[in-house]
Amino acid sequence: MINDIRVGALIASSSVKRGNKKTLMFIVFVLSLIFMNLVFLPSMIGGMTVLFTGFMQDYPYGDVVIEPTGDNTYINNADSVLKKVRAVEGVRAATKRLDVGASIDHKQNVVGVTVTGMLPTEEYEISQYPYIITDGDFLGELSRDEIIIGAMIAGTGFGSEIYDNLGEVKVGSLVDVTYSNGVKKTYKVKGIMEGTFELVDLNALVHYKEIEEVYGLEGSKATSVVVRIDKQGTEEQIQDKIREAGVNEQVFTWADKSETLIKQAMQSMGAIDIMSKFVSLIVGAALILIIIYINILNKKKEIGILKAIGITPRSIVLSYAFLSTFYVSLGIIAGLALYLSLMFYFQANPVVFYETMEIRPVIDPMLLIQSIITMLTLSVIAGTLPAWSVSKESILKAIWGR
Amino acid sequence: MIVVKDLKRYYGSGQTAVKALNGVSFEIKKGEFVAIMGASGSGKTTLLRILALLDDATAGEYTIRGLKVSSLPEAERSYYRLTQVGYVFQDYALINEMSAAENVYVLSMMEGRSKKESYKTALEALEKVGLKGKQDRIPDELSGGEKQRVAIARAIAKKPDIMFADEPCANLDTNNSKQVLDVFKDLNDNYGQTIVMVTHELWHTEYVDRVITLEDGVLVSDEMMDEGGEEK
Ligand SMILES: Nc1ncnc2c1ncn2[C@@H]1O[C@H](COP(=O)(O)OP(=O)(O)OP(=O)(O)O)[C@@H](O)[C@H]1O
Ligand SMILES: [Mg+2]
Repeated sequence: MINDIRVGALIASSSVKRGNKKTLMFIVFVLSLIFMNLVFLPSMIGGMTVLFTGFMQDYPYGDVVIEPTGDNTYINNADSVLKKVRAVEGVRAATKRLDVGASIDHKQNVVGVTVTGMLPTEEYEISQYPYIITDGDFLGELSRDEIIIGAMIAGTGFGSEIYDNLGEVKVGSLVDVTYSNGVKKTYKVKGIMEGTFELVDLNALVHYKEIEEVYGLEGSKATSVVVRIDKQGTEEQIQDKIREAGVNEQVFTWADKSETLIKQAMQSMGAIDIMSKFVSLIVGAALILIIIYINILNKKKEIGILKAIGITPRSIVLSYAFLSTFYVSLGIIAGLALYLSLMFYFQANPVVFYETMEIRPVIDPMLLIQSIITMLTLSVIAGTLPAWSVSKESILKAIWGR
Repeated sequence: MIVVKDLKRYYGSGQTAVKALNGVSFEIKKGEFVAIMGASGSGKTTLLRILALLDDATAGEYTIRGLKVSSLPEAERSYYRLTQVGYVFQDYALINEMSAAENVYVLSMMEGRSKKESYKTALEALEKVGLKGKQDRIPDELSGGEKQRVAIARAIAKKPDIMFADEPCANLDTNNSKQVLDVFKDLNDNYGQTIVMVTHELWHTEYVDRVITLEDGVLVSDEMMDEGGEEK
């Protein structure tokens, strides 16, 4: 076996050293494209996933979110929950919110929205809301009778054509809000927010105290307590720690919460992802097989000669396994270089959706390793099978064609 | 050391079968230089391929040193080809991507010798066939005669029991042919190499000890050459 390996390596190396360099380059080029095909689209889809999951964290759920148990509408005594949560190691910030249903009207236009009551100064540490005000200003600690309206319902933002909107609401306009309990109140628009995401841009924000007053709530009620943590990836540990700290409400990670929502959105993406990977693999396998098979057919006579002079079929098969591994390794290296340069390009120049949603591809090392292993495995099979079948042919047939 | 008894090789079967060899028997002794002659299609190549274990006989017996090689399994035949048999092809059959030395030493490496030792043996063999200093050239950088001598070096480097050559000079001009035949003669005279060579050139018989002639797959004559005739 050792002799087989040594001779296989000698045959393979001389074939690389003195073989046709153009053919080699062509093969490597095609293989690099196959590799690219395997990793590029998943990286883009990964980028989309990151974008969507990022939204979930930046707006409705934070990293960990606490919600009322059972049939309760509110968390009772959210302040005590906050106190416990803030004491948990690894928690960076936390705040309470009150989400209620309402309709807003302005000049005969009516739109149904979720109005979130929040503590504006705390939100700077919690969410992106304060940072996406495109017109006017974010709420302040003393904001009363003031409202922030999402761009899509304001009728100015992207997507306004798709959804009902209030028709050109501007900073300073007055809008009427009718809450789900029937209370009606007039607000002055303080700012327009644009997160280029329906969940944000179809909503409205007011001060926490507004909701408390309108609904007559006491004792720091909240529909959710939103928590941000120090280190991404530790959500589940923090979730446990919060429970251990004596919080009896429901504690979710953003992933738990996003699951249904994101999963639905991602499922179709995931299907595309899996299909594209599958197709790339089949196409890649076929291409590798064809390239190496043609290469071997050209070497049929040589294989016959090697056998005739006493080289074992095993060395011959090994030499082709080495050769195809070599080709594919070069292909992977070239493909990686190509892939990384494209990744860097797209990270600097992200693909833009909905005018402002920037999709930056994600480099997933696991995906790369998987693809490399897949390519190498394929190449060994693709390189070995044809060589094996040719090396099984009779010497006469291989050399003289009959 | 080679004994062939009633060797038959049919291509195809039934009515249309081509009887390329139809019962050939002879013996070859160690150290003989034998030419196999005969008209085109008489079965020379067919015979040689069977003797060199590149092909199977349809019937008959073939022994080398008393070992019935005709019935060996392929793996052992492969080992036999590697260690006991040298074969020189009409069209050289060198590996184009290997240098002269590599073409020769790949076989000793296959036999398990170290690369260094294999390389040394290869250089010796190349020197024996008059190719000293050309070990690093690839086949494309060699003349036809030189290529054929590399092929001979490849066949002799492993010091085979018998060396077979199928019209080794068919693609060579007279000058190159002479060089190749001189190498054979030298190997036979000075190293006692047993050689069986197929040829249809009458003047080649000057170099050999014995001429076996085939006709339509049967042996029609087997003559020893006049010793005096080959004196130079
Ligand atoms: N693979 C084959 N299939 C069918 N017939 C074959 C095959 N190989 C050889 N033959 C036939 O067998 C006979 C002997 O062929 P062989 O090649 O041994 O002749 P040869 O003496 O070497 O001739 P030449 O001097 O032309 O090389 C010929 O009639 C040839 O056509
Ligand atoms: Mg012939």
